[in-house]
Amino acid sequence: MTAHHASPSVPPHRYVIIGNGVAGNQAAEGLRSRDPEGLVTIITNNRLLFYNRYLLPLLFRSHKDWRELQSHSADYYQKHRIRVIRDVRVTAVDAGRRQVMLAHKEPITYDTLLVATGGRSYLPEELADSRHLLNSFGTYEQAMAVKKALPDRGTVVMLGGDMIGLDLARTLLSIDCRVVLVTHETTFWPHQVTPEVRMEFLNVLRDMGMDVIDGDAAGGVTAIEPGTAGLPARRVVFRQGGDVYGDVVMPFYGLVPSVEFMMGSGTDIERGILVGTNLRTNDNHIFAAGDVCQIWSEQEHAYRFYYGYQNVRAMGAVAASNMTGGNEHFAITQNGSLRRDGHGHIDSSFWAYD
Amino acid sequence: MKATDIQIALCGSAGDGTIAAGDILRNAVARAGYRVISFDVYPPEIRGFGKCISRVRITTEQSYALKRQSDVFVSLDDSHAIPHVGEVRPDGAVIFESQPVATVAEGHHISGHIHPGHIPYGIPLRELSEKSTGGGRSRNLVVLGYIAGLLGLAAEHFLSIIEKKFTKQGSEVVSRNQAGFHAGFQAGAATFKLDNVFFTPLGAPHGSEQVVMLSGNAAVAQGCMDAHLDTFFGYPITPATSIMERLAVALPKRGARLLQTEDEISAMAASIGAGFAGARAATATSGPGLALMSEMIGLATMAEVPCVVFVSQRGGPSTGMPTKTEQSDLNAALYGSPGDSQHIVIAPTNVEGCYRCAGKAFEMAERYQTPVIVLLDLYLSNRYETVTLAVSGPPFNLNANKPRPRLEAGEVYKRYALTDDGISPRAIPGDAGCMHVITGLEHNELGRPSDQEEMHAAMSRKRHDKLLGALQHPDFTVSKRFGDPGRVKVGLLSWGSTFGECLEAMFMAQAEGIPCAAMKVVMLAPFPVQPVADFMADCDVVLVPECNYEGQFAHLVQGILAKPVVRLSRVPGSPMPVEAILGEVRRLARGAVTAIAS
Ligand SMILES: Cc1cc2nc3c(=O)[nH]c(=O)nc-3n(C[C@H](O)[C@H](O)[C@H](O)COP(=O)(O)OP(=O)(O)OC[C@H]3O[C@@H](n4cnc5c(N)ncnc54)[C@H](O)[C@@H]3O)c2cc1C
Repeated sequence: MTAHHASPSVPPHRYVIIGNGVAGNQAAEGLRSRDPEGLVTIITNNRLLFYNRYLLPLLFRSHKDWRELQSHSADYYQKHRIRVIRDVRVTAVDAGRRQVMLAHKEPITYDTLLVATGGRSYLPEELADSRHLLNSFGTYEQAMAVKKALPDRGTVVMLGGDMIGLDLARTLLSIDCRVVLVTHETTFWPHQVTPEVRMEFLNVLRDMGMDVIDGDAAGGVTAIEPGTAGLPARRVVFRQGGDVYGDVVMPFYGLVPSVEFMMGSGTDIERGILVGTNLRTNDNHIFAAGDVCQIWSEQEHAYRFYYGYQNVRAMGAVAASNMTGGNEHFAITQNGSLRRDGHGHIDSSFWAYD
Repeated sequence: MKATDIQIALCGSAGDGTIAAGDILRNAVARAGYRVISFDVYPPEIRGFGKCISRVRITTEQSYALKRQSDVFVSLDDSHAIPHVGEVRPDGAVIFESQPVATVAEGHHISGHIHPGHIPYGIPLRELSEKSTGGGRSRNLVVLGYIAGLLGLAAEHFLSIIEKKFTKQGSEVVSRNQAGFHAGFQAGAATFKLDNVFFTPLGAPHGSEQVVMLSGNAAVAQGCMDAHLDTFFGYPITPATSIMERLAVALPKRGARLLQTEDEISAMAASIGAGFAGARAATATSGPGLALMSEMIGLATMAEVPCVVFVSQRGGPSTGMPTKTEQSDLNAALYGSPGDSQHIVIAPTNVEGCYRCAGKAFEMAERYQTPVIVLLDLYLSNRYETVTLAVSGPPFNLNANKPRPRLEAGEVYKRYALTDDGISPRAIPGDAGCMHVITGLEHNELGRPSDQEEMHAAMSRKRHDKLLGALQHPDFTVSKRFGDPGRVKVGLLSWGSTFGECLEAMFMAQAEGIPCAAMKVVMLAPFPVQPVADFMADCDVVLVPECNYEGQFAHLVQGILAKPVVRLSRVPGSPMPVEAILGEVRRLARGAVTAIAS
């Protein structure tokens, strides 16, 4: 079913998608097929077209140019008439005027808006001043910076240890790097684990060769400092005394939804943007999908996040359908807990993608 | 290792410092040892809001033309840059202002126009400029720094060129601009480079030559100076003016003279007068000025007075398009003067050629006692190239035809003596025993007016035949063939600035496996009949690309050689795109046999 069809007298419908990730791109594809005449614009603060971030750990195993990670070629966007405005940041949404404001002070008008800005890695406040000494791992550029900073068989200190970090950790171990994990309540995020399961899987990590430091017992990390001459480049200092050195220190404390620019738009926000199972916000013209949104759960009587590639992709498809007049509802496609693979190593449904 | 071949285009509005940035860039990379070809496009207004584009191609070996697609494209003004954003090659970089000072109307920011195959680099140029220099005016320097930092070019050459460029405005301006450059450099160095643009390190320079950066007009001025020009008369006209401007500075330093006359007629007349008096003289103009000079050129032809006219063509006719390039004054240069007014016309094909042709023009003018027109065009006048000069000194013969020594008593001096090669002994007023008359009237050997049929025929023949010697003029390339030897499918026959594009197209065609050759014709009058005929005989089909509407050179070739050529005549106001020539070569290569058969 296609709801919006431009006739000569009706101007084409303007769909604007903020975010160039899994959800945004899935939605763009759906919008294009459901409304061939519509104007589809993706806005992103990334320089690159959509690429598979799940593959970033592989950069450490073999050289991969970013082109090899790209999900779609440039031709794809041209062929499907999907405009991608890159390397620009959305600073606000004026729901009254139906305009997205860009950091360079240009408004982009929409008829229907999809917010699919995902999340960015969370950094505890006490580490804010040490940001420049930490290496993030959200983009290709950041991954390459880590690769450059990490010597052969070097040491990575992982703070937190969410599932994004642990995915990288298993790759680093496989290339004989040393991985020191400083645990935190976000270890194994987004999995919510009982203390027993947590213990079990920390031991699994130890068995895999990881050094595990109990972050709570150490009183938490108070500072990151540049390493002194003759020692690795970074020193992680614990509140209770003691320290650990690494060539690279990486925070993996889970994600926080990127919603700041939506403040003032009139859209309901808790931690993420609140939507119903049809992914519509309280504004009829605004939808949200992916890591940025909290979806109403009838069972739990609460808004909750659903992570994982398949969930996020399904959200993109549902949003596209409903933005073009459909009436579909998001149903969870991917759930699961921590498990072990055939080698006894840690595994998770979170790491599955197709 | 792959050789360096990077083209950077900067686009902005007049006042943004676009051309200045291009100038610093080309000089800095040339100082680093790279070869450069560069061309600026700017608006006809002296100052206003017109579009300015500076394109700089940087290579390991000298290249011959700009590429159609740049590797890096900078927008300093999106309203001008948006229509050009498609000129970036796939995976190329587009650098733009991410923090404009004012609100941007929807659809008017370049970010929405960048193709998915390009890499965007949104940089807070204004902010970086303000933070580092206290004002937003150094955005052009910030962006240069950003490019240098991003591409891994050393800052030192940029900093010294910036110092040189702004030193007259005081040390504060120098350090402000250097600070802007630094801020950009740091931002560029901290940016992860996603595009595959690389500068390959260079080998040691060759000791027997020095490489300098010159524009076509600067090369002409340098050639004039190295040929010991005595006197220059001129009247300003775009795009020839900068020849005069440069000589106005250089000539007095050597005790020589430059006079700005009231118009082009006077400039030409004064040059003839100086030539008559034995001085090495020249003038420079463009199409409209050439029209005014045409009668005087006839006088110089008739009176056999050496003089050199540099003509830089622009879009015509009449006032035409003063800031756009064209090759449409060929007919005027060849035939513009009434009567059988034969003279020498030479057209350099690159900046180095501008230097050589300028110096050699004086040799020829004096040797053959005739006006010599050196035909440039705006593209050649204004484009910059790295030029290799021999450290051993200028390659010009300063004694090509010295006035004859004093006569012995009883000897009769015949200024227009009919000789085997048509060249008569030259004397200057005041040489003892060499009193003679010069006149625009037809004359006898003594210079006295004569309208005798035989004398007119003999003098016409003399004026014609003496020029043929120029086809063998020492150390001068009259024409030259490049590319595949022997039989080829397509031959490119070209003149002037378009030859660079032909050569690039030929290389590309060869790389595609098309047997291809190219010939440049530098001497257009007298015409090198034999080499061109030989070249054409080797080609299944001959293509003549040129920037004029009627195919003036094609006419010339066909008129002289009576052989068919395929024309590619265009008047885009800009250089002929290499791709247009290549497309035609491909088409002809596919159907070359049928083209001949039909
Ligand atoms: C290295 C890495 C590995 C990961 N591995 C896994 C994994 O194995 N399994 C898994 O389930 N998840 C993984 N994730 C998380 C996964 O990326 C997300 O669950 C999923 O991609 C979310 O998709 P999304 O479309 O909601 O948002 P994202 O993919 O995060 O895309 C959000 C987009 O919005 C843009 N954006 C944000 N704010 C703005 C703004 N203000 N203006 C303009 N653009 C903006 C961003 O640049 C980005 O393009 C990983 C993430 C990273 C970084």
